[in-house]
Amino acid sequence: MLRQTFIEAMANLLAGRQRSVLALLGILIGAAAVIAMLNVGAIARNETVRQFKEMGTDVLSVNISARRSDALGLKLGDILTVPQMVPGVTAIAPLAVGGASVTFRGTQRSTMVAGVTEAFNPVVRLDLLQGRFISAYDKYELFCVIGKQLADSLASGGERPIVGSTLRVGAYLFTVIGILDPTEHNPMMPLTINAGVFVSLQNAARINPGQRLTAAVGRLADGANADRVEQVLAEYLTSKGRDTTISVQTARQLIAGMAGQMQVFTLLLGAIGVIALVLGGVGVMNIMLVSVTERRQEIGIRLAIGARQRDIQLLFLAEALILAVFGALLGIGLGLAGSWGFAALSDWDFVIDPAAPPLGAGVSIAVGVFFGFYPAHLAARLDPIEALRAG
Amino acid sequence: MLALDGITKTYDAAGRRVDVLRGLSLVVPAGDMVSIMGGSGSGKTTFMNIVGLLDRPTNGSYHIGGQDVLAASPDTLAVLRNRLIGFVFQSLFLMPRLNIWRNVALPLMYRGLALVEARRAAEAMLARVGLGDCAQMMPPQLSGGMRQRVAIARALVGEPAVLLADEPTGALDPTTAQEIMDLFRTLNRDLQVLVMIITHDPLIAAQCRRQLVLRDGVLEG
Repeated sequence: MLRQTFIEAMANLLAGRQRSVLALLGILIGAAAVIAMLNVGAIARNETVRQFKEMGTDVLSVNISARRSDALGLKLGDILTVPQMVPGVTAIAPLAVGGASVTFRGTQRSTMVAGVTEAFNPVVRLDLLQGRFISAYDKYELFCVIGKQLADSLASGGERPIVGSTLRVGAYLFTVIGILDPTEHNPMMPLTINAGVFVSLQNAARINPGQRLTAAVGRLADGANADRVEQVLAEYLTSKGRDTTISVQTARQLIAGMAGQMQVFTLLLGAIGVIALVLGGVGVMNIMLVSVTERRQEIGIRLAIGARQRDIQLLFLAEALILAVFGALLGIGLGLAGSWGFAALSDWDFVIDPAAPPLGAGVSIAVGVFFGFYPAHLAARLDPIEALRAG
Repeated sequence: MLALDGITKTYDAAGRRVDVLRGLSLVVPAGDMVSIMGGSGSGKTTFMNIVGLLDRPTNGSYHIGGQDVLAASPDTLAVLRNRLIGFVFQSLFLMPRLNIWRNVALPLMYRGLALVEARRAAEAMLARVGLGDCAQMMPPQLSGGMRQRVAIARALVGEPAVLLADEPTGALDPTTAQEIMDLFRTLNRDLQVLVMIITHDPLIAAQCRRQLVLRDGVLEG
């Protein structure tokens, strides 16, 4: 009986193809939006984990900006004393980031030059493909370390910068002493490490005369209260700086902020999903109400030859169920494709949350069947005489 | 087999009471073949709906095979219809998207019979009405007369006690109508099923053993 019911339901849906497709579409979009919502959430979580896996979540960054062009800014000593003065910060490394043009064998690129101290790499923990990082003994040597991406973009005529190559940075000739392993983009860093040039603070001031400290990166102690440290550190540096605005950010806050942004996105998709599902449900209800009206006489005959009310109800519920299941299955495809597109646009890794497809499909099937109940009930309650007279 | 006593049916149409049936009584023994004649508006269809358990009378009693059938719930009525009564309608109504044997098997499916058994019974009944070769065809592929035979097979597949036919030949040409009447007579003889034919055609009515006329809400015979 059940099999025959489904065969008939399927045949009826195929006979009213246009209407079926419309009802299907609503369920499909609803399911897709719900699945995309769940899966984009998973992609974002994965991305957050990935971004901070290399550098850890205990990174903090300080942005130092002068309010006036002649502001004195922070002195190096003000930053180097932070670990002693601010509890909860274990290490800190100052940076002076500016722009410069870099030339290698006639190939010129504009990029960021960061003046750093030997404290930079222990804090940021960069790996090197070749050579070594700037050390305490390189303060006045014209040595630089470059990112892999910059090295690639400077390559010309089969020649690429290697350790020992000479680069012109601004007006000075530097010797490359190290090339960095590519790293994930980290939103905490004041520059794109892969495309940057690293020199000593002293040399940064040669390349860009008057270059002030623009940033610092540090590490939180284990178990430190990120919010508290951020507040104390900001107050401390603000008290030292003159005409300078200090902002401190910790990775944990950034992650929380990203989670907040994601929540907005998730809510948006969720709202689309709910609206589409309701529309889809109403679509299912509509097609089935039309179907019930058109098939009154058939329902009458069925009742006359012995169908019980629940047999009639089942027939129409089967149609709703088939629509909902097909919509949900296609929705899984569309939802995953949508979240894949989101990942591709954001340049994030695509992952599938194993809970997303069954959850989204389940919700949309439930909605479809729910909206199918009323027409099915209506059909089952038809008076056989009324139904038979309809023809 | 059928015992109707003092059946009345009153409709309330736009505030006016309309008495369609006025104390109609009828007893039909098992295996009889009866025709009910009447002009339009005489209450033929109301009468058939009550006999066929699709409608309830306002007053009166109705027994089939000694069983009082008026006290039953809608679902119980459905079961009684399914077991006791086979319907043949004027409009030849078959399920357009089920093939012929599935159409015939439908009452058995509603009875909860397994598909294999239902199919066997349906094909046997199709052979009996002369459509043994058409089991796999779809309703639109058949002629009107053939479709009426399918409807008769569907009505009889559940071995009902009563076969109710409402204008069974109304949509057919005279030759085909005669073939269908011959089929009714054969089935009535071979299966001992009570056949009740509602018609306005005297030529059809004349072929039944007992002929009744519905006039002014009562049967005259």
